[in-house]
Amino acid sequence: MTALLEVSELTLCFGGLTAVDAVSFTVEKGSITAVIGPNGAGKTSLFNVITAQYQASAGRILVEGATIERQWGRAETLRAGGFTLLAGLLTALALHCQSLWSAFLHDWNSLTKFAWGTGLTLAWEEFLRTGTWPFAIGAAVAAAACWQHWHSQRRTPDLVHRHGIARTFQNIRLFRRMSCLENILIPRDTRAGYGRLAAALRLPWQRQREAAEISAAMALLELVGLTAAAHLPAGSLPYGAQRHLEIARALSSKPRLLLLDEPAAGMNESESADLMRLIRGIRATGTTILLIEHDMQVVMGISDSIVVLDHGEKIAAGTPAEIRAHPAVIAAYLGETVEGQP
Amino acid sequence: MPDLHVLLEILVIGLSNGMVLALIALGYTMVYGIIELINFAHGDLLMLGCFAALTGVSMAGLPITPGSSHAWITIAALMIIVPAFCAGMNGLVERLVYRPIRGGPKLTALVSAIGVSFIFVNIGLIWGGLPLWAPAGVVNALGIDPAPFGSSASSFKNIPALLPAENLLPSHWGVGIRMAEVVTFGTTIPVLIGMSWLIRRTRLGRAMRATAQDPIAARLMGIDTNRIISHTFLLGGALAGVGAVLLCLRGDALHFQFTGFRAGMDAFTAAVLGGIGSLPGAVIGALIIGLVRSSNDILGESLWTNAMVFAILILLLIFRPGGLLGSTVREKV
Amino acid sequence: MNASHLMAGSPWQRLARDWRSWAVLIIVAWPAIDLALPTDLRIGALLPNILAFAFLALGIHVVTGATGLLHLGAAAFVAIGAFAFAISTTTAFPFQLGFWPGLGVAIAAGTSAGVLLGLPTTRLRGDYLAIATLGFGEIVVDLLKNLDVITKGTQTLGDLPKPWLGVTLPNIVSTANAWIWWHWLYLAFIAVAVWLLHNLQNSQIGRAWIAVREDELAARAMGIPVARVKLGAFTLGSALCATGGALYACLLGNSSDPTNYDFMLSVMGISMVILGGMGSLTGALVGAMVIGGFNVIILDKMTRWLGETDSMLLSLSNWQYLIFGLMLVLMMRFRPAGVVPERRTARGSR
Repeated sequence: MTALLEVSELTLCFGGLTAVDAVSFTVEKGSITAVIGPNGAGKTSLFNVITAQYQASAGRILVEGATIERQWGRAETLRAGGFTLLAGLLTALALHCQSLWSAFLHDWNSLTKFAWGTGLTLAWEEFLRTGTWPFAIGAAVAAAACWQHWHSQRRTPDLVHRHGIARTFQNIRLFRRMSCLENILIPRDTRAGYGRLAAALRLPWQRQREAAEISAAMALLELVGLTAAAHLPAGSLPYGAQRHLEIARALSSKPRLLLLDEPAAGMNESESADLMRLIRGIRATGTTILLIEHDMQVVMGISDSIVVLDHGEKIAAGTPAEIRAHPAVIAAYLGETVEGQP
Repeated sequence: MPDLHVLLEILVIGLSNGMVLALIALGYTMVYGIIELINFAHGDLLMLGCFAALTGVSMAGLPITPGSSHAWITIAALMIIVPAFCAGMNGLVERLVYRPIRGGPKLTALVSAIGVSFIFVNIGLIWGGLPLWAPAGVVNALGIDPAPFGSSASSFKNIPALLPAENLLPSHWGVGIRMAEVVTFGTTIPVLIGMSWLIRRTRLGRAMRATAQDPIAARLMGIDTNRIISHTFLLGGALAGVGAVLLCLRGDALHFQFTGFRAGMDAFTAAVLGGIGSLPGAVIGALIIGLVRSSNDILGESLWTNAMVFAILILLLIFRPGGLLGSTVREKV
Repeated sequence: MNASHLMAGSPWQRLARDWRSWAVLIIVAWPAIDLALPTDLRIGALLPNILAFAFLALGIHVVTGATGLLHLGAAAFVAIGAFAFAISTTTAFPFQLGFWPGLGVAIAAGTSAGVLLGLPTTRLRGDYLAIATLGFGEIVVDLLKNLDVITKGTQTLGDLPKPWLGVTLPNIVSTANAWIWWHWLYLAFIAVAVWLLHNLQNSQIGRAWIAVREDELAARAMGIPVARVKLGAFTLGSALCATGGALYACLLGNSSDPTNYDFMLSVMGISMVILGGMGSLTGALVGAMVIGGFNVIILDKMTRWLGETDSMLLSLSNWQYLIFGLMLVLMMRFRPAGVVPERRTARGSR
């Protein structure tokens, strides 16, 4: 079995607080792995680093052997170069626009025919005379801005999502005022791109694509039993349905890795059993699942392997049976039953 | 390389303008720090304070000889009345407008602040069009033009001078310090020291800092956050009031719209420059903005000064949105 | 919320029940209605002015209503559109491109300026973006006023061409009832813009806008390239505002004093969208009609009815700021969602 996700020595610090402390583990492809631990152990922070919500202070995250980050290629060089040149040009033009304009018009009045060639030549000469310093300054500032922008954008959540990692949130973050159908459509939209012309003109291929997306989204809604609510605002659904919708939304982009953050929170026993069935069904389609959960019945019931965190450190990892008997885990939970028995 | 007295002149003008700006910037940054609201109306509050000062001066009995004891008594009275007025206005607005919508989306609060700003501007417009306080008979007997404050509601108003305009330094020094500069420094420095003491040593200051850092925790500790927020607005208003009096003493012309707008933009840029939410940062930022303005006005073309300040704001926001002394706030997932 | 009763009946019956259809009918047929009114109540000639400013509302609808970016500098883009149109078509300069190319130049100028301002600012937090756009609005007006070699500043660039549709439209001021043609032409422009925006809103782009507005963090986590989407919305909004500016300048016949494109205009635009209903395209148009109508028509008529007055207090234009300010404060307090609720449909799903 190959590792889908490999986390090595991952560390996340917020000023003085270390939320994740040199955590290392692997997630096998096609498995269901649970991350458990007392409150404040750093579980959600771990998810946040994996999805690039926060940048790790140290350590590495490999997804199927590769890091997810933007690479600097030829396109980037061209774009940055073009932007720098343009910015320099604009700065030079702006600072001396009046003199350039006067040079260009060279005392034209409405009675004579305008000599375009002469105008351009004069303007160019004026530009060379006064515009070189502003050009340099503008280009330098633009280059610095490009560099700064590049650095801040190397790993972003939307990039991670496009590479096949989707998540749900501890506090449900649906788009409440959009319909359930639209919530499902959004992750799929990124594949189609955001070309405005085709959409604005409703060209045929845009219409076809949209129809195909909608039927695919409806199929997903059927999977979670929310077809009837397709056009209702997501915020109007009952709590359990919202959780299901969030999971459906995460599945919508057909991710290779699904991160579920406390999916069973607030659920009773029958709802949890439903959830467990759903998660097993998701695993059956080939998606790897990593979940944070407090409900031990769920955890022990469906996990193939478990990672235990406490105070940001990994204190144990292994199969459910191993974890159940692990002394450090029992100590961390201080007497809480970890057998999955009521 | 500009010579020494040009540099000194830039320094004097820039720092004194910057000190006044600091008072306004503090109001901005305090309110932002505590409820994350850009109080668009703050600059216009300053403008209203100037109008209050103007009315106060006319009530004190014109003409007033600059530098006389009559003038000094008027100044002292203004220093009490105008900050009180501005504090009251700010507190009133907080109670009536911002408190009922607290907890809602930020866009709502921002738009409300714009609304309040507009209301203030209109008050300024009407106020500027009202006749002088002193009865026409008195005014005419003294041989004064009954409308020395500008002939129509929307024009620039000139403020009668209360302080002598002569240079206090020997002329061969090449740089001028008027009485107005002395009063400016003499007022703002104690005020800033007082603010610093208030924030760091008193219970109110501690409560304000706690509410700014974590309102929920502050409430759990028993702090009445509503009251603290009110106090913040009152304090910010009072500071703006002091700034208004100083502006009037410095002889800037008053306009019901431009004064507030310009002051607001500059003060906000200063606050962002120093790190929004940081009080010493606001002061430092204001001094820098004051110096930038004075150097551009004197060395370069004053045409471009506004654009310069704006360019600084944009560059800051691109490269260092946390400002000089601030830090970036992360959103909690 | 079951709206199935609205679905009953034939398409024509459904259309008749919808107030939007009636509103469209009235405004298209307005020339007929207006001519039937007594001269004092006629407002027809003022309508093209309001329609030009409807583009401002559309632009702010895209940026603020749909995407949630508070844009306080939209007036600058209106000004850029007006001046770009004026510079490229006026007889004072050798370009003299004519109406349609001039319009194209204006839209291009607005789009470029939108990208220019949008690149650094759309990455910022909401309140910082507001201040940056506010500053930009101020700077642009400043520049347009002072760079008078290019813009003729407060003296304005005049002698602009009228729209050409095979035949040149008559001058709205000098020819009686000429406004009717302008009215229908500008309505056509708005209809095109509304159709394009409607399509965009019901596509993946509209969804991305709303997602960014509702929950930027979740939007990013769902794969939406938030900065790019914001920049796109900002640019589109700027282009729309610039179109409005060009149409306004064309109507006026000159570029108009740069100081007319001030912060008040930007706030008017915001008010149109807020009053009409955040996120609703129809709402933005309703807001534009109401606020534009108030500004242009009421003020014009009131001064005529109340008569010229020396009293500062009775002159209505002196109370404009207060009325707007009060309206904004009260709307935010009591009905922040606006008059027309946002209505979302995923096309083809019904």
